[in-house]
Amino acid sequence: MKKMLVLLLSLALVVPMVAGCSGSSTTAEDSDVIKIGVFEPLTGANAAGGELEVDGIELANQLRPEVLGKKVELVVADNKSDKAEATTAAARLIEKDKVVAVLGSWGSSLSIAAGDVVKTNEVPAVALSATNPQVTAGNDYYFRVCFLDPFQGTVMANYASKNLNAKKVAIIQEVSNDYSVGLAKFFTDAFVKLTGDPNAIVATGNYNTGDQDFTGILTNIKATNPDVIFAPGNYTESALIIKQARALGITAPFIGGDTWETNEFITVGGADVEGAVMSTFFDDTNPLTEAGKTFVAEYKKAYPDRENIPAVTALGYDGYMMTLDAIERAGSADPKAIRDALAATVDFEGATGMITIDANGDAQKTEAIIKVVKDGKFTYLDSVTVQ
Amino acid sequence: MENIQHRFGAYIKIHWKTIVFLGVVLITIGLLDQFVDSYIRRLLNLCAIYTIISLGMNLVNGFTGQFSLGQAGFMAVGAYTVAIFTVPIEARATIFYLAPMTPLLANIQLPFIVALLLGGLVSAGFAFLIGGPCLRLRGDYLAIATLGFSEIIRIVFTNTQTITNGALGIKSIPTITSLWWTYGIAIIIIVLMILLINSSYGRAFKSIREDEIAAEAMGVGLFKTKMTSFMIGAFFTGIGGGLFAALLGTVDPKQFYFTLTYNFLLIIVLGGLGSISGTVIASFVVTLGQEWLRFLDEPMAFGLDLPIFRPGLRMVVFSALLMVVVLFYRKGLMGTNELTWDFIGKKIKVIKSKFNRKKSASQGGDNK
Repeated sequence: MKKMLVLLLSLALVVPMVAGCSGSSTTAEDSDVIKIGVFEPLTGANAAGGELEVDGIELANQLRPEVLGKKVELVVADNKSDKAEATTAAARLIEKDKVVAVLGSWGSSLSIAAGDVVKTNEVPAVALSATNPQVTAGNDYYFRVCFLDPFQGTVMANYASKNLNAKKVAIIQEVSNDYSVGLAKFFTDAFVKLTGDPNAIVATGNYNTGDQDFTGILTNIKATNPDVIFAPGNYTESALIIKQARALGITAPFIGGDTWETNEFITVGGADVEGAVMSTFFDDTNPLTEAGKTFVAEYKKAYPDRENIPAVTALGYDGYMMTLDAIERAGSADPKAIRDALAATVDFEGATGMITIDANGDAQKTEAIIKVVKDGKFTYLDSVTVQ
Repeated sequence: MENIQHRFGAYIKIHWKTIVFLGVVLITIGLLDQFVDSYIRRLLNLCAIYTIISLGMNLVNGFTGQFSLGQAGFMAVGAYTVAIFTVPIEARATIFYLAPMTPLLANIQLPFIVALLLGGLVSAGFAFLIGGPCLRLRGDYLAIATLGFSEIIRIVFTNTQTITNGALGIKSIPTITSLWWTYGIAIIIIVLMILLINSSYGRAFKSIREDEIAAEAMGVGLFKTKMTSFMIGAFFTGIGGGLFAALLGTVDPKQFYFTLTYNFLLIIVLGGLGSISGTVIASFVVTLGQEWLRFLDEPMAFGLDLPIFRPGLRMVVFSALLMVVVLFYRKGLMGTNELTWDFIGKKIKVIKSKFNRKKSASQGGDNK
């Protein structure tokens, strides 16, 4: 019995090995195919975000499955939301699957970890929603289609100062989250500059991912009586903060960043998050471009049962389309030629707006969408242009 | 002099096969270093690093019998030491863009090997500090206390923005690509472990694992011996963490969640608590196994479009395989045995005799 099992097990291990080997060797020689790597967290803590981006990439792939007369094949590699895994996944895509470009990943730190791999192997990568400046800084092979933390921080500072006429702001940041810390810092810089008052930030509260009780931070903030509270961070914690603030009798409006735009934010926060304002990349009721309208129509066709379109899905779509546009302009599937073409991208019409790649490899975006929670839905409020 | 010889290595006879084997290993590493692509190289480097860290953990958990779960914390200390001291000074301003690095550290850059050793030493220093109160605890309580330590380290690193750059982490750490760094250090640490385990210290460790009261009655200083094991284990782990940082080129606090510790716990349990060779084998099996099963994540794994082949399946299969291994090998792959030439000889004899018995059985018609 035991021997039988051992035999079966070893068989179970050997058969796929043979299958796996034959599968990869035939496709590697196939020159009619251009391979693009999709490098996303599909298991682990960030899986939800990764899935949304893959949706966008796959939708774009269905719409435009060919470039230079060759079929585009997507090779998906899961990075398990883990840095060590992320570097091997990226190396695998490049060395084993021979992809000519990489798309991803959700989560700036995973993209930063892969940055070194794409740089040494000279294969271009396009980050979709990784907003941390360090993803592209000092790396000629990493590009991105979304805006950066400094831009988003500035947008919200402008909104607080001009639209809400705020003079005093309190900040609550998720100190274990690079995104939240970055946004808080750039918001502070921009807001102090706008108001000309070095003490315009009256209080700063720190919390960790997964915290449940924020009454300590909120009590301190209540004592300083701010006009607005800026609380970029994870959606669950942010919704809890707003709930607890309202329970403590804090009436100041809450503003935040793009991570809030999830259904969980509304289900957790309920009636208390009504009126919460956030900046985001994309609004499906008001696409900025023709490409955006096409994307919305196609998305609704592909997923008729989904209510609103996540911004990161639109960014996934843009990343794929921009890469294909670069391959077409390069005229070849050589990774270096694609890199040069990506770097030279000017006024590419994406679903989330016009994209021009600057010297750092970042998308020069000047427009952000402001949304507000109204009747339990994320509703378009304004679009802001900041130079 | 005699005393020293008595304590270290007097009982190890070096078999000529061992020297040949070591030679073969070194040549293999040399060849691999020349010819493999960066993907395989990265995996092999990870195997060596996991070996080092798991050995550090096995010394405490397997050989000394103290259930410690602080591995992620010690790794973080080693990794951050290497990161802080090897990042090029000119790159620091762009990395620490939210809050500049403290002027005490901002202009210090050390060679990689010095930073690596320092990482190990700082990690051992932390082990000394927390060992004092914690090692008086036994069993589950020690596990909880060390687990708490590793979380505290992570939270501290998240908040010391001017030293560790907080949640943003540190990137642009000069990376190691050669296999010699990781494998060289792994071999040195394996040799050190063998010498240590076969010395009087090693026997003291094992006596504590078997029975603390009996060990104390025989004159083994419990606290001192446990502390020695704990600090050496932390030193190895710190070195492993430093290599880990240099392999990835980036560190941030989120990498060092306590779940990372379970990776190494898995390796030492799978390999056998109290077996050096088992730890080495399990490190390779676990690291390469997870990566090799990746084909299960691809939708067309067997040329068929089956809906179950989707990302995540490999982890399901991997866990199932682990369960099977643990069911059949209760004490891990190696138990407390070592892969010595005697052990291999015995195994071969057993297989031979089984084979012969079968043969004679079929010839003689005896169906027993």
